[in-house]
Amino acid sequence: MTSKIPIILDGDPGHDDAIAWMLAKASDKLEILACTSVSGNQSIEKTSLNARRVMTLLGIDAPFAMGREEPLHGEPIHAANVHGETGLDGPALPEPALEPEPVTAVELMAKTISASSEPVTIVATGPLTNVGALLILYPELKPKIAHISIMGGGLAFGNWTPAAEFNILIDPEAADVVYKSGVPLTMAGLDVTLKALVFPEDFERIRALGNRVAVVVAEWLDFFYNFHRSLGYTGAPVHDAVAVAALIKPEILTARDYYVQIETSGDFCRGATVADHYGFTNQPPNTHALVDIDREAFVDLLAEAAAWYGKESE
Amino acid sequence: MTPIPVILDCDPGVDDAIAFLLAKQLPQLNVLAITSVAGNVGLEYTTYNALGLLEFLDWDIPVYRGASGPIFRKRVEAAEVHGSNGMAGFDLPHTRREVEGINAWDAIHKYAVEQQGSLEIIAVGPLTNLAMAFLKYPDLPHLIKRIVIMGGAASEGNATPAAEFNIYADPEAADIVFCAGVPVHMCGLDMTMKALMTPTELDQIAALGSKQAIFFRDVVQDIVVFMSKLGITGINMHDPAAVLYAADDSIFKAYPAGIRVETKGSITQGKTVTDLFSDAKWPKNGFVAMDIDREAFVKRVFELMSKY
Repeated sequence: MTSKIPIILDGDPGHDDAIAWMLAKASDKLEILACTSVSGNQSIEKTSLNARRVMTLLGIDAPFAMGREEPLHGEPIHAANVHGETGLDGPALPEPALEPEPVTAVELMAKTISASSEPVTIVATGPLTNVGALLILYPELKPKIAHISIMGGGLAFGNWTPAAEFNILIDPEAADVVYKSGVPLTMAGLDVTLKALVFPEDFERIRALGNRVAVVVAEWLDFFYNFHRSLGYTGAPVHDAVAVAALIKPEILTARDYYVQIETSGDFCRGATVADHYGFTNQPPNTHALVDIDREAFVDLLAEAAAWYGKESE
Repeated sequence: MTPIPVILDCDPGVDDAIAFLLAKQLPQLNVLAITSVAGNVGLEYTTYNALGLLEFLDWDIPVYRGASGPIFRKRVEAAEVHGSNGMAGFDLPHTRREVEGINAWDAIHKYAVEQQGSLEIIAVGPLTNLAMAFLKYPDLPHLIKRIVIMGGAASEGNATPAAEFNIYADPEAADIVFCAGVPVHMCGLDMTMKALMTPTELDQIAALGSKQAIFFRDVVQDIVVFMSKLGITGINMHDPAAVLYAADDSIFKAYPAGIRVETKGSITQGKTVTDLFSDAKWPKNGFVAMDIDREAFVKRVFELMSKY
């Protein structure tokens, strides 16, 4: 029996998705069973190509399948201003050494979860389109999903709109399904991820590690920070990596449990994650919401993970 | 320094009553009139309570009756917090005072014209009266200098998980006010949940000995019990904090923001949405008070109550 947590990586790489996957692959606590792409930071064609390139760079040897372009309901939105035209602008990446499986992301998730002897954890760092569809189409698999670690939302505020964080805003209906599912959820929302800042001096520390992955990670951080600096950030908020850190090193995070609901309508609040602070809903908590992080320990975790790739190639 | 001419628009209401006690003693404010609105309890009670409070304080200013409910929707109230009469069962003195012959929004316009642009509004109930005034008088935005409200929150709610009571009670009115073109200073839950007075401090106020000081402690007792069920020891001075902010904002921290009100969401109606923390930015139409120096606040309350 393995002591590793079996996981599926579901994301829209994306600089911070890619760094999250870097962290996951380097951890001896996680076993990556499959990767799936979702439309979000860029179109599904672009995030899927990026996913395969990142898997190749990191040496993730797992099946991969593509998600769909559209959210479960409504029109897609992308974040080319944040992640560039390719969705992962910056350093040159290897051509993908793997082909997508001839199934949808949701089918690959279902197959992987069915085949696993242990319940599987899903790390969802993009819009929740695939995860929502999985729960709608394969409700019988719920008991075999141990946990969903989400980068998305914000208890107190949004980023893409004043009330909504990007990943939830893109597919609020899917998020609503996930939050109502009863599957244990960890939420790495803006409350914590805007504190997970990686500063330019941290980039240099990672770059100085010198291995191929570390240098690429530093260049991703360069690109990601360049955009955020224009908004007044003092570092790069590596949102998605917090959802992985929550599995590897929960002791560096502070959390509160809330019943969280998703607003799917409204003039200003579509995509808002609404936490019940005072028990108005009489519902037990459905979300382990991360609210604070030991930033320096988080940077250490990223740097140690990047260093692991140097040992790998020796 | 000339005191700021203000109208206090309110729905007394227990913490409104405290706001009256403080507003009367604040040298920075010249309260010209009270306008009543349905909110914590119905308009018949809030108007009666406003008159009774003025009688109790021996304070001669006019009261104008306002809106009996929100503009577009059904009325909600907070009688479980304020008691069925809005004064937690406390009997205010009978009064022969009567309301004035014109309604609240006409009065707001009348005073605004008279004050030639220097009038400020302190609104500590639902914003129905102000919205009605803006709907009726297109020149009004040019005649009001500033609006200080108790209402809303950048983050959480107290009527629902997303919405604060005063905004939830009339979200459309609130959005009309935020969009009217007059700077709105929002004293919401982000700040007022920190404007806490402890039971010990309430006893110390009462020990000042005046009937007003004893009333201060006694009228809030039911709310202290109510709050203890939420795990909060003491009482949040929501409305009084807004009044003190209007008089002197130096013990508060407020930030310019774009603020709108959600009127249509399925679980967020009445939420004040601010762009304070988001990457997306809106035109700035007001300020959000996020913090208060609690110790300095309590000290000011003591100083004001010592004047009775």
